[in-house]
Amino acid sequence: MEMNMKLEIISFGKISEFIGHQQVEISNVTDTDQLKSYLETSFPELVGMKYKLAVNQNMIQSNQSLKNEDKVAIMPPFSGG
Amino acid sequence: MDNERYSRQLILKGFGATAQNKLINSRVLVVGAGGLGCPILQYLAAAGIGTIGIVDDDTISLSNLHRQIIFTTEDLDQPKVKVAAKRLGLVSPEISIVEHQLRLDKNNIFNIIESYDVVIDGTDNFDSRYIINDACTFLQKPLIFAAVSGFEGQLAIFNVKDKQGVATNYRDIFPTPPAPGEIQNCAENGVLGVLPGIIGTMAAAETIKLIAGIGQPLINTLLHYNLLTQTQYTLNISVGHDYVLPKSKADFILMDENQSHSNAPIYEEIDIKRMLLLREQDLALVIDVREKHEFPILDQDKFLQVPMSEFNTFIQNNIEAESIVLLCQHGIRSIAAAELLQEKYGAAKKIYSLKGGIAKWKDHFLKR
Repeated sequence: MEMNMKLEIISFGKISEFIGHQQVEISNVTDTDQLKSYLETSFPELVGMKYKLAVNQNMIQSNQSLKNEDKVAIMPPFSGG
Repeated sequence: MDNERYSRQLILKGFGATAQNKLINSRVLVVGAGGLGCPILQYLAAAGIGTIGIVDDDTISLSNLHRQIIFTTEDLDQPKVKVAAKRLGLVSPEISIVEHQLRLDKNNIFNIIESYDVVIDGTDNFDSRYIINDACTFLQKPLIFAAVSGFEGQLAIFNVKDKQGVATNYRDIFPTPPAPGEIQNCAENGVLGVLPGIIGTMAAAETIKLIAGIGQPLINTLLHYNLLTQTQYTLNISVGHDYVLPKSKADFILMDENQSHSNAPIYEEIDIKRMLLLREQDLALVIDVREKHEFPILDQDKFLQVPMSEFNTFIQNNIEAESIVLLCQHGIRSIAAAELLQEKYGAAKKIYSLKGGIAKWKDHFLKR
């Protein structure tokens, strides 16, 4: 069964300059690996950048399935002091 | 203990003499006496942390003053560690302040951090942050991490076990450092002075909470703060699997940047002050890699001239100096030369490139 998934994307730092806070409706994305390639295709600036994904405020360490209405955060490293 | 000095904390419900004694008996190392370090140091000293170590190798410059609020215009060009220590001593004469006027590196870090209970990372670059993280993680030393970028900040506590017995470190979030230039620092990107003030103050609060054993410190939690929207967002940190930490101190020193800092250079870009310091103390060989026809012509007693066109031949011979500073007109060819030296010597030598080159520091090079 093909269904669109609704996700909330929250980004920070430099990444928020090209991926604003938004709701996306996407098809063919069921896990975080697929979401990463979706994001890197839609926002090529992201390719090669270091960032951490979190789903519903929990950082993910390996591929993880997504469900409708999940909140996905994209966090880059900061170094300034 | 001076009861009157700490009276407002002593009468505070949930704090009191028990917590105050824990502060007095604790030893905290603050790495970086900059935008984050200043408020951290001021609040920790005022709160009565018994021993505070300060690590920084920099001197005070005019562009620091908008955010590094311990320092005054009279302190320009003075070492940050000295000025900060003096000021903190005036605020809290009964605590000990330990000055470490140096830059932490893989060779000196264990000696310095071992005697402290808690380390606070308020540095301004990824190289230092990863070295501090790795050494603290190796020792399982509590580490308060604070960083800023633009109008945003990050804060977390590493190497402290939560109720489930789980401890995390910075590499659980970012296993390897970004490539050079991928993430800008404050010098390149700018920063509103009050932002490191807020994040630094929060870091001081987390340190006090952790030591006093009150509230819920940010263990295994990354706090993100946005000044423009006055919002906070927290992320739960879990244990990652994408990195290997050294098994011994020897391993740590040998651990190659290839593995841990995949893209990070070993060479370092420095400003004119550090170059002069290195040269005046005979700590480094300074090489001018411009071609012979380029102006200004530098004093050949002070600068060894090895044009880029001859550089490959030159480095076939062994260089004895342990530290080498490279410079050129704009600081670009000197990076290429630094990379060649890095290829040959790896981490065995300290390699520096004068950032911006002679053009940026022409006042110095042209004066006679």
